[in-house]
Amino acid sequence: MSWRRSSAILRHEFRVMLSDPSTAIFVIVMPVLMVALMKELFADVLVSEGFSGANGSEFAVPGMAVSFAAFSVGYAGFSFFRDHGWATWDRLRASPATSADLMVGKVLPTVCLTTLQLGVLFLLGGPLFGLHITGSVAALTVLIVVLALSLSAFGILVTALARTMNQLNAIGSVGGMAMAMMGGSFVPVASMPGWAQALAPAMPTYWAMRGFRSVILEGGGLGDVVLPVVVMAGFGALFTALAAMKFRVEDSKVYWG
Amino acid sequence: MLHVQGLRKAYGEVTALSGVDLDVAPGEIVAMLGPNGAGKTTLVSIVAGLRRADAGSVEVDGLDALARTADVRARIGFAPQDTGVYPVVSVRRNLKLFGELAGLDRRTLRVRIDEVADALDMTDLLDRMAGSLSGGQKRRLHTALALLHRPRLLLLDEATTGADVETRNRILDLVRRMAADGSAVLYSTHYLAEVETLGSRVAVLDHGRIIAGGRVSDLVESYAVPVVELVFTGEVPASLVREGATVEGSRLRLPSREPARTLLEVLPQIDPAALSSMEIVHPSLEAVYLALTGRRYDEADRAGSKETADVVAP
Repeated sequence: MSWRRSSAILRHEFRVMLSDPSTAIFVIVMPVLMVALMKELFADVLVSEGFSGANGSEFAVPGMAVSFAAFSVGYAGFSFFRDHGWATWDRLRASPATSADLMVGKVLPTVCLTTLQLGVLFLLGGPLFGLHITGSVAALTVLIVVLALSLSAFGILVTALARTMNQLNAIGSVGGMAMAMMGGSFVPVASMPGWAQALAPAMPTYWAMRGFRSVILEGGGLGDVVLPVVVMAGFGALFTALAAMKFRVEDSKVYWG
Repeated sequence: MLHVQGLRKAYGEVTALSGVDLDVAPGEIVAMLGPNGAGKTTLVSIVAGLRRADAGSVEVDGLDALARTADVRARIGFAPQDTGVYPVVSVRRNLKLFGELAGLDRRTLRVRIDEVADALDMTDLLDRMAGSLSGGQKRRLHTALALLHRPRLLLLDEATTGADVETRNRILDLVRRMAADGSAVLYSTHYLAEVETLGSRVAVLDHGRIIAGGRVSDLVESYAVPVVELVFTGEVPASLVREGATVEGSRLRLPSREPARTLLEVLPQIDPAALSSMEIVHPSLEAVYLALTGRRYDEADRAGSKETADVVAP
């Protein structure tokens, strides 16, 4: 793998992304609006759990951040399908860039976008919604980055499975939504039905929410998020391995249809 | 520079290449001519490392192209058949990306962008969005992306398809210049006239096989006999079918070194009401193709288009 070639692709992907920033803006602005609408709903739940000073943002901010990050998993695959649509995929493949160069160059921008999306919401959470983070900011940062990596890996797996852009959107949206809901980022896990509570740990989003809860509400530090981070990294590794088994650079993808 | 031997490829039941042998030396242009569906794109794609061959070998600059794909890609420049540019960034950014991927340093890249843009009359377009270019301008950019890094082997797959006359001439000029500078060029096309203009060596591909190769003038001398072609409104009269003649539906082809004399000989034997058209096909690459395959090139091209549309390559 060559970092020089990967970074050329990465910079190019950022330029393409910035040429139409509407999606990036949407996934950053929408969760802010959603938190404004929903945070009151969670205040009583958190107070009943013993967090007397909670105003609801302690759940709404990480919940919406994780949900929208999960909804956007298809974005990782979009750049691959777009290259097929523009007939530039074969050009890239015929260039000296290896498959690894292409993967790194195309996936890293999505990791950065997801990290930015999560980070912005946590940054705005304080001034806009009175979010008070009681624990370690370093632990929060690690959680954000590992979650972004894990979700992007899921996005690549979806890309490997999808043959058309419609399939990417469908599998990505349904998969992302299921992952967000089942992982307890829409409603607290404790409020979900028993069967859903049993399934929740099978979602990386569950571990993200567990880590965020520890840092935001329970004053957790780096040592307290080791388990969530390791499990999310494990999910990321699993998604990457499955994607590596299914992804074939020579497969043709249909941009629309 | 390029050595292809016994190359075979099939897509399910459809054979795309059935034992192709081909050599291109440094500084040489080989025009690979064939109708749609002849196997040109498959061959170029295998050499570029985009498809796997079922059998055979490909060497580029002495390297096994099927095994050492990454090393080989550093030596080739490839412009696929479909125009592939990034429409949402500028022409310069498109060129920069592929120049950087090819390993050009910043200074060399700047110089090469200016040189190639000048050669293809794109200097004024460098800061325009690629998506706002006309079809011909996009085709020029598409070709420029392949040759920016002065590849040792340039693979152009139907480089001038859909291009206007000016674009076609600019591209052909640049291809000649690249060859003069030492690059080997494999130029796939289905335009007979273009091959004659290039004056290059030609490899005629038909149904996945190279059926003839050499200089256009040599091929014409070796294979092409003028042909009298008569098209009837109904069946071809059996009395007109002589040795060497071919009948295809209501079409009769009579190869002859003296076509005018042959035409005058057969005309009195024909009921004017039964004759739809007549033509003398003079020696040319078209006549070579006719002599080799028994089909006219444009018919084969149309048939190939239909076949190609029927085959969905994986």
